[in-house]
Amino acid sequence: MKTGVSRRNVLGKLGAAFAGIMTATAAKTAKAAVQKVFVSSGAPKGYDPTKHKWLMAIDINKCIGCGLCVEACKKENNVPEGPFFRTWIERYVIPKPKPGSFTTRTEAIVDSPNGGMHGFPEPPVPVGEIEQSFFVPKLCNLCEHSPCVQVCPVGATFDTPDGAVLIDPNYCIGCGFCIQACPYGCRFLNPVTKTAEKCTLCYHRITRGLKPACVEVCPSEARIFGDLKNPVPDDPIKKFYENNRVQVLKPHLGTEPRVSYAGMDKEVR
Amino acid sequence: MPPQIVRLVLLTITIVGSYLVARFFLTPSSFGRYGWYRGEALEELSSRPRSFAGKKACEECHSDECLKLSKAEHHGLSCEGCHGVGQAHADNPDIKIDIRTFSECARCHEANPSRPKWLKQISTKTHYPGQKCTECHVPHQPQEVP
Repeated sequence: MKTGVSRRNVLGKLGAAFAGIMTATAAKTAKAAVQKVFVSSGAPKGYDPTKHKWLMAIDINKCIGCGLCVEACKKENNVPEGPFFRTWIERYVIPKPKPGSFTTRTEAIVDSPNGGMHGFPEPPVPVGEIEQSFFVPKLCNLCEHSPCVQVCPVGATFDTPDGAVLIDPNYCIGCGFCIQACPYGCRFLNPVTKTAEKCTLCYHRITRGLKPACVEVCPSEARIFGDLKNPVPDDPIKKFYENNRVQVLKPHLGTEPRVSYAGMDKEVR
Repeated sequence: MPPQIVRLVLLTITIVGSYLVARFFLTPSSFGRYGWYRGEALEELSSRPRSFAGKKACEECHSDECLKLSKAEHHGLSCEGCHGVGQAHADNPDIKIDIRTFSECARCHEANPSRPKWLKQISTKTHYPGQKCTECHVPHQPQEVP
């Protein structure tokens, strides 16, 4: 009887299938070996980024300009000496309008000596001529539509599911596009590693249930930090939004920052 | 099929094939776990060492001091804000905290017109110059007299 199925045919096909499976296994082993060279990870497990949504908020009325947060950030994240900051404090001094000028708000004088790390000297305007003066802590604004993520040519920076904007130092080529793209000036090129760096919300701390270093040391609770997906009783973030009228920095740019500021003046940029 | 077309097809297959092989081997296995990036980068970034231990770690041994502080005006202050970085001390209590990382009272309480009005401020030039703050004030209980 002729069926069209010969022994040679079946054996051949079986052999080919077996060879295919063997190649796939070999390829997988080879892939693992290749990746062991290129990718190594000795990281702790047990933290699921999809189950958190971290957020920071700033209450300008409470900031006393002591600079502890700036110093703590530098220590915690090994930020090099010099004009490199992941967070910094700006001092706004708004002088009184000149009599007869009929302006309501004069232009603010902004300074941040050494990021405000060692406090602030006497204001640039005599005390009697100051209309308003306050401190504004700055950090990564955690934009919904981050320009820095969009411009990265190698995909080294990304929005994480838990709300941080991070940089993969292994992939960053240090081209500096993101530093130009950030409208808030929150990024810098680390002169030691030659990669871009920015506020990570102290990712190595929040994944272990600790507060970011700046929030930890802030003496006046001007920095509010919390997890939107796991609110605690008396949640500081919830209370912040209930008790304050908030604004974001540069809302006209459409970056939709997630960091909100309470008690902000129109002069703050 | 004309030979020039065959050559072109073979060349295309070789280029596309070598690209696919390279992609298979070089794409990190965690790529795409959370998005268009290497998922393991998150774990790597979270495995960095810390220098601040946090108030909870201080409370484990210094609970009496923390309790005193929690009842006083300075209750919102973190230990490490004034006493300096403490992860090394928390890991090994024999290592003392570096006194150079301490912060002084004037850091927050020196008068400055930019500071909010609710904060108690003094000028160290006119407010008992030359004397130590702790001669009249208790840092943990600012309302008490030593």
